[in-house]
Amino acid sequence: MSNKKQKIRIWDLPTRIYHWLQLLVVVGALLSGFFAPEWWLGIHVWLGYGLIALLVFRIAWGFFGPEYSRFSSFIFSPKTLISHIKGIKEGKPLHFFGHNPLGALMIFALIAVLLGISLSGLINLGGVENQGALAGFVDYATGDIAGKVHLFLAFALIAMIFLHILGVVVEGKISKSNLTKSMIDGDKPLLEGEKAPILRPTLFVPAILSIAGIGLILVVGSVSMSKVPASGFIAMPISQTYQSECSDCHIIYHPSLLPKNSWAIMMDDLSEHFGEDASLDDETRDIIANYLVRYSAENWDSEAANNLLLVDKEKPIQITATAYWKLRHAKIDEEVFKSKPVRTAANCEACHSDAKTGRFADENISIPKPKKQP
Amino acid sequence: MRNLLIIISILAFFPAMAASAGPREDVIAQLETLAKSDDANFSGFDAARGKKLFSAKFSTGKPETPSCTSCHSTSPKNAGETRAGKAIDPMALSKTSDRYTDPKKVEKWFRRNCNSVLGRECTPLEKGDFLAFMISQ
Ligand code: HEC
Ligand code: HEC
Ligand code: HEC
Repeated sequence: MSNKKQKIRIWDLPTRIYHWLQLLVVVGALLSGFFAPEWWLGIHVWLGYGLIALLVFRIAWGFFGPEYSRFSSFIFSPKTLISHIKGIKEGKPLHFFGHNPLGALMIFALIAVLLGISLSGLINLGGVENQGALAGFVDYATGDIAGKVHLFLAFALIAMIFLHILGVVVEGKISKSNLTKSMIDGDKPLLEGEKAPILRPTLFVPAILSIAGIGLILVVGSVSMSKVPASGFIAMPISQTYQSECSDCHIIYHPSLLPKNSWAIMMDDLSEHFGEDASLDDETRDIIANYLVRYSAENWDSEAANNLLLVDKEKPIQITATAYWKLRHAKIDEEVFKSKPVRTAANCEACHSDAKTGRFADENISIPKPKKQP
Repeated sequence: MRNLLIIISILAFFPAMAASAGPREDVIAQLETLAKSDDANFSGFDAARGKKLFSAKFSTGKPETPSCTSCHSTSPKNAGETRAGKAIDPMALSKTSDRYTDPKKVEKWFRRNCNSVLGRECTPLEKGDFLAFMISQ
């Protein structure tokens, strides 16, 4: 039997499926994160959960998988690393069946960055959007910082993906083998006269048990953690007086949408209310004023409340005049606001189906198509 | 037996009696009293005058709302719309049967809307005329 065409199985099927699925998930998450409109957040988050599932598999496989998937097979000493780099420089690289020392560093870095991205995303989701497993545990400020980390890691990931591809191309050239092909069919050819090494087999039972165990802990843990009420939201009784007296002309604005000073100023002069007289008898007015001040923006830790604290100096009682509101709605055409069914920028409910709750979650945004006026 | 019949007929007629001197009539009656004390020659509300008030354009109020029709649409039988896009049920009694029954509500909106449109309170005569027009519609 000629040993010329002999091959050796480097990447088993699960590892290959994992690799290409992860490519899809990461590309999808990057695209939805950078380019999709806000209301795609749900899709982005589900891609994130998918990524976590893939990482759980990869880590279990790193301990119990086949030889070259195991972390221990690609932890190299600094000495090996240096001689590997020297070898590349001299055009006589050392030969490795699995990851080479530089590639191995990239794999560990990628796994670390992907874990970091998942975690920072989850913290951001909990703190800023008040959603997910951490909604009850993280405040807005922490979530905001995590968001910045998330973004930074995303840029780092893009750079690393390019380096990873570069590495595959360069190593392929040097070792005259098609690395991409072996991530598809799983095999690498044996060099002439080279003996197939003895490979540790997959330990299926511990692998499956640890995947199932970690998966169970994550799912049960996050489901029970998401039962904790979102920390940004406090319990607020419904005021019948507010609901009935302030809803004749427009939607009911959630009290968290303006700071207490603004509500006080507004309630002080209802006879000059955005070009209309909205005056009330003093008793009713005081009930509503107290309610709005009691539950003003200062009392909430939601995304909207945190950002709407900073009102416009000239128009302190107008939500739509705040710098934050203008910034978030800058891309929307004036025509959309004017025409039915929106009619005015102040009609938050036309585009935010959860406006009543003060949440303004990304998934609950949808701009209705303008209707032609009859 | 006769007594029972009397009781039943009283009970049967009671809702009708209540309606004939209901809260809407009270609102009108009170406006009539006020109108009389303003003008001794007062001789009843006039739907035609009310119609004029409803469609007239004023420049004395807030620029955003020159007329009652700015919000209540040009016909009392049509639904109106506030400036913030919220629908207002038609003002005509034939279209919205529970209108003008809550004296506090009627007073509140006359105060607000007259101030917005005319820049002043409406007189009892204007209010009564307006209601007469809406009830006739
Ligand atoms: C007579 C009608 C009327 C009544 C009653 C009324 N409003 Fe308004 N309100 C308006 C109009 C008109 C606007 C401006 C809407 C726009 O910009 O399109 C407005 C705007 C607002 C805004 C700002 C929205 C923005 O553009 O940022 C708030 C907040 C508000 N109203 C609160 C209240 C509260 C609280 C009450 C009850 C005390 C109330 N309104 C009762 C007519 C009314
Ligand atoms: C014509 C539709 C429309 C109306 C009306 C509207 N919004 Fe928005 N809003 C949007 C869109 C679209 C976005 C997302 C913009 C983006 O891509 O960042 C948004 C974003 C927001 C955000 C940020 C949400 C987040 O998680 O990033 C807040 C808060 C918000 N709007 C509040 C309001 C309030 C308060 C009102 C009413 C006073 C209002 N909006 C009226 C369409 C609308
Ligand atoms: C800025 C918009 C606006 C204008 C202008 C306006 N109204 Fe109204 N009016 C309303 C709203 C909103 C209501 C309360 C909604 C409802 O009753 O369906 C109302 C209610 C009323 C009511 C109480 C109805 C009831 O069922 O008790 C009366 C009376 C009334 N308006 C009279 C007038 C008169 C008279 C004018 C003109 C001088 C006028 N309105 C102009 C918005 C307006």
